[in-house]
Amino acid sequence: MRIATFILHIDSFIIRLGLVSILNRLQGVRVLKEFKANESFISFLENHPVDYIIIDQAGFDRLVNLYISKPELLELTILLKDSSLKDLNKGVLRGDVPATLYLTDEKETIVQTLQNLLQHRDDLSTKNSSEDLSPRETTIVRLVSMGLTNRQIAEKLFLSAHTVMTHRKNINSKLGIKSVSGLTIYAIVNNIITIEEVSSLP
Amino acid sequence: MINREWPMYRVILENHQLLPLLPRFNLKMGFGELSVDEVCRNHGVNTDFFLEIANAYLDELYVPGEGLSLFSLSTMVSYIKSTHKYYIDIALPMVEEKINRLMSRSALSKKEISLVTNFFNDYKKDFMAHLSQEEENILPYVLELERQSAQDLPDPEFIQKLQTYSIHEFEKEHDRLETSLKHLYELIIKYLPPFEDLQLCHQVLNDLAALMKDLVDHADVEDKVLVPRVADLEALVLSRTSTV
Repeated sequence: MRIATFILHIDSFIIRLGLVSILNRLQGVRVLKEFKANESFISFLENHPVDYIIIDQAGFDRLVNLYISKPELLELTILLKDSSLKDLNKGVLRGDVPATLYLTDEKETIVQTLQNLLQHRDDLSTKNSSEDLSPRETTIVRLVSMGLTNRQIAEKLFLSAHTVMTHRKNINSKLGIKSVSGLTIYAIVNNIITIEEVSSLP
Repeated sequence: MINREWPMYRVILENHQLLPLLPRFNLKMGFGELSVDEVCRNHGVNTDFFLEIANAYLDELYVPGEGLSLFSLSTMVSYIKSTHKYYIDIALPMVEEKINRLMSRSALSKKEISLVTNFFNDYKKDFMAHLSQEEENILPYVLELERQSAQDLPDPEFIQKLQTYSIHEFEKEHDRLETSLKHLYELIIKYLPPFEDLQLCHQVLNDLAALMKDLVDHADVEDKVLVPRVADLEALVLSRTSTV
């Protein structure tokens, strides 16, 4: 899980403190900085890897022009609304922020909302790194086990040596196996190759 | 859940899998009727720390409790180092010696033998590299964090590092060491021709199984005891600097 980084732009000290204490208890979360009413976070965004901005209703109202000029900020924004009844700045946002918190929320609700958000983010980032090898990767593991070098594999599969290297790296990180001998045994026990087919000089 | 008041001999009698923990804490047997707490204190071991580790070993779902805040991270780090030492000095050479003996007495083809011995040599290299990455990077980071947390004004460079790095990143790398051993185990019982020396073969398999279990448990200790404690401290250090 990659760390999710947060900044807070909340006028009330007490509310800020409360949110920070909840955020700090969540796994994989970093609060990078807190901003008060009259402080701007724009320059901070340029120099820091910020994943989420939690902003209160008053702050959002004040910065509405900023959001109009930089709508991409909405993707990072978690709104802290006073209550679910009031709807603010309908023109700018209509449910396009990733999450909304309410001042009236209980701790459990807040934790749940944030965890769903982080879970969703994790799902997106791990979609392409499943433990299962792709058919192409399986072929490469087979050829590696037969004792072929990367260059030989590249020639056989009509790939560039660089592409084969990339596949090898992905295989290593998916399986957590670096050595040829380790891959060979993996290939045997996963029926990718038989012992007879394995190179005699691994 | 083990309790500090229980007699140590009962704890070990009923939880055979805790046996390999004893040398790591330098706890000598001959417990008599002494309680867990008494044995620990006699050997200069923090009882709460021993309990956290032992309970994490016994229960896969164990969540570390209040005991966490009662010991220092340096205690934890030195425990991890002594576990590494156990792997390097005892567990790995023991199974390696038996594998080599098993191979030399077997009717396996040259190819099959080199398959196993090459595998184990490479595995050992990867294993060592994994441990030294921890000893050279992770553990010094943990100690540095503890040192910085004790200061009124932590080093700004360290704070900068903290903003993008967390101990949680190390977690994901962490369940891999036993996977290859499982492949080897499977190779032996499923794909290689049967071994004449069945007893030795069983010993190899037993050693492999014990090492796999130990590695899983050790990763558990690191993920469930060390990581949360370090994460708490990271948050504490950061929260102090962001409110200054």
